[in-house]
Amino acid sequence: MISQHPNLKTLSVRNKTADSKKLSAFLTQYLTSNNLPEGIHDDLRLAAEETFINIANYAFHIKGVYPVDIEARITVDTISITFIDSGIAFNPLLDCDKYIEDNEHCEGGMGIHIIKSLSDKQQYKRINQRNVFTITKHYTIQHQ
Amino acid sequence: MSLEITVTPEAIDGKRISIKGSLDSNTAPELQRQIDAEITDTTRTTIMDFKELNFLSSAGLRVIFKTKKVMDKNGGKFLLVNLQPQIKKVFEIIKALDGMNVFKDQDEMDDYLTDMQNKVIDEG
Repeated sequence: MISQHPNLKTLSVRNKTADSKKLSAFLTQYLTSNNLPEGIHDDLRLAAEETFINIANYAFHIKGVYPVDIEARITVDTISITFIDSGIAFNPLLDCDKYIEDNEHCEGGMGIHIIKSLSDKQQYKRINQRNVFTITKHYTIQHQ
Repeated sequence: MSLEITVTPEAIDGKRISIKGSLDSNTAPELQRQIDAEITDTTRTTIMDFKELNFLSSAGLRVIFKTKKVMDKNGGKFLLVNLQPQIKKVFEIIKALDGMNVFKDQDEMDDYLTDMQNKVIDEG
């Protein structure tokens, strides 16, 4: 894990489902250390897991182990989590934007629906042959 | 991020599957294996108890939907009980509670099961 800025933390994992555990531990540590409201921990953890699983399942057509880089950024009222991978161009917002109740059709459909519901903004970019997908959530600190 | 699964017998050829921890992409396959082993054509009632479940992702939801589908196909009952707020929220996001038998706690479910049992006795 490399830290370039006090409000930025990065993590690199493999495109393997098992590595969602590392992502979860990374986020828990990041959210806790930044004193973010407890209420958004579960939302972000779930939105991040769904995003990562979509990437692990769909971004790489050639079997192999590839890195997925994750960046967590915090501002005074937002937290953003960015996922960067070198897989095929895949915009989950367009390619899997339908609600499917089971896995007989588009397996990622339910995941992207959850991501959209639990985050305030989602953004996809294709930059230098890499998928860059960011979810952002607003938060407010309750001062006593 | 671990999951503990406990399966116990219930009345009316039923099974209660109590899950504790995190039902996610890593743990959902294990739950599916247990359910495949425990739920048979003769199972009349399947109760999924979420009292100690603290995380649920779409991978876990798929196992739940698949189990409901099996129970519907077999003409059995599929019940969910003790949904914690964060778990209920996930179901509500995907509008999946409609058509499900959901009980806030054991007492509410016991009343339902007693009614069901009495109905069976009356019909018998």
